[in-house]
Amino acid sequence: MLKEFSYLAPKNKTQLLKLLAEHTGKPGVGKTAKILAGGTDILVNIRNGFDKTDLLIDIKKIGEYSKLDFNKTKGLLIGANVTYIQLINNKNVKKHYPVLIETAGKVGSPQLRNRGTIIGNICTASPAADMSRSLLCLGAEVNIVSIKGSRSMKLKDFFKGVKKTALKAGEIVESITIPIDMADAKYGDEKLKRIKGHDLAQAAVSIVKKDKVLRVAISSCAIVPVLLKDFKSNVSSATVCKEALKSISPIDDIRASKDYRIHMVKTYIKRIMDKI
Amino acid sequence: MKINVKVNGKKYERDVRENMTLLRFIREEIGLTGTKEGCGVGECGACTVILNGKTVNSCIVLAVEADGAVIETIEGEAKNGKMSKLQNSFHEHHAVQCGFCTPGMVLSAKTLLKENPKPSEHEIKEALEGNFCRCTGYQQIIEAIQDASGQMKK
Ligand SMILES: Cc1cc2nc3c(=O)[nH]c(=O)nc-3n(C[C@H](O)[C@H](O)[C@H](O)COP(=O)(O)OP(=O)(O)OC[C@H]3O[C@@H](n4cnc5c(N)ncnc54)[C@H](O)[C@@H]3O)c2cc1C
Ligand code: FES
Ligand code: FES
Repeated sequence: MLKEFSYLAPKNKTQLLKLLAEHTGKPGVGKTAKILAGGTDILVNIRNGFDKTDLLIDIKKIGEYSKLDFNKTKGLLIGANVTYIQLINNKNVKKHYPVLIETAGKVGSPQLRNRGTIIGNICTASPAADMSRSLLCLGAEVNIVSIKGSRSMKLKDFFKGVKKTALKAGEIVESITIPIDMADAKYGDEKLKRIKGHDLAQAAVSIVKKDKVLRVAISSCAIVPVLLKDFKSNVSSATVCKEALKSISPIDDIRASKDYRIHMVKTYIKRIMDKI
Repeated sequence: MKINVKVNGKKYERDVRENMTLLRFIREEIGLTGTKEGCGVGECGACTVILNGKTVNSCIVLAVEADGAVIETIEGEAKNGKMSKLQNSFHEHHAVQCGFCTPGMVLSAKTLLKENPKPSEHEIKEALEGNFCRCTGYQQIIEAIQDASGQMKK
């Protein structure tokens, strides 16, 4: 049984922003509201008693948030309602940003990929979020809006800690933009988990390479997903591994030891770099 | 909140609480108890239903979110008291032991075969990765799906 909460499903952005401004959760200012996208994180947290939200604002009726548009100069725009399966089935994504499909295909099960959203994955801000790796490598920008206006920031600045983001009260992520510069890049992604289908990563690495640049992102090895500084494309894997070890701070927990995570990050970096 | 849904071709209008899951709605409001609750948190797939053509875990969908939706459950599989080809194949291959996972398994398999009529063994396994079975060991389920898709050497 889920605890009691209210539910509203605004039909457009104006209604949504008004609702978010009315319910910031501050004492005396409406209810504590949260966005409901695919619900695959938040409804589980409510069921487990970890989330005390008393108003869910469903954004799935807002048509403009379903956009998944590719443009040869601007790149890719992923709206807040775009699910894993929509991303996986999109021809332009397949052609220009296959690393996104590779990571999206590694999330959960078909049932979860049919329902969960890319932006929900980012907003949950788990250190293990699978989309974080590929999006960081591609230089994704997060587009944020509230009743007061809009702002954008690099995804790497959006993650602030375990389950913490740069979002302020009343703000929502409308979309993610992926610049064109890393379109058609060579890529590789490796995720360590105990079983396919239902497991968060114990350590995972994405790498993309285009023209003179090689970019590496690592998840499940620090309090936030980590993007390394850009490398030259002819860099050695030993140099990348050295840099990676400086930037990550994996822990021992029930899913893997620190040493195992470090070992696998190095193995994956070498494996992907040999391939691309 | 008042919601309208179509379940297995039949229309329903009900007033539901916001915190009611689609799973509870189907079992308790509509009275279709073929859909099961295993984990209740999106892991096991016992609660799988087809929502607007796509499989979802109904334990982590709210009934209010399904307003206006077309839903298929296991009860819609048999027609006029006759099991579907897929159900028959599960029966013949002993792909059912306790049966708790079966409704979800059948709906995941049905969706797979609709999108990919001749799946490979690997594709079948991937399509079932969100459905746990604690009895059969999966092999009989895979064979049932291979047979239903006309890919079984006899
Ligand atoms: C069994 C199971 C397996 C899973 N496996 C994986 C896995 O392998 N890899 C992985 O990375 N994740 C996994 N997940 C986690 C989850 O499915 C994903 O993180 C998913 O992408 C969340 O998206 P959603 O649309 O369902 O988010 P929701 O649950 O709707 O929202 C998640 C959070 O983000 C907030 N939010 C959502 N959209 C916005 C927005 N536009 N602006 C601001 N805030 C927003 C919500 O308020 C909420 O706090 C798994 C979950 C389950 C239950
Ligand atoms: S009961 Fe819904 S996934 Fe287990
Ligand atoms: S037959 Fe018992 S869980 Fe599958």
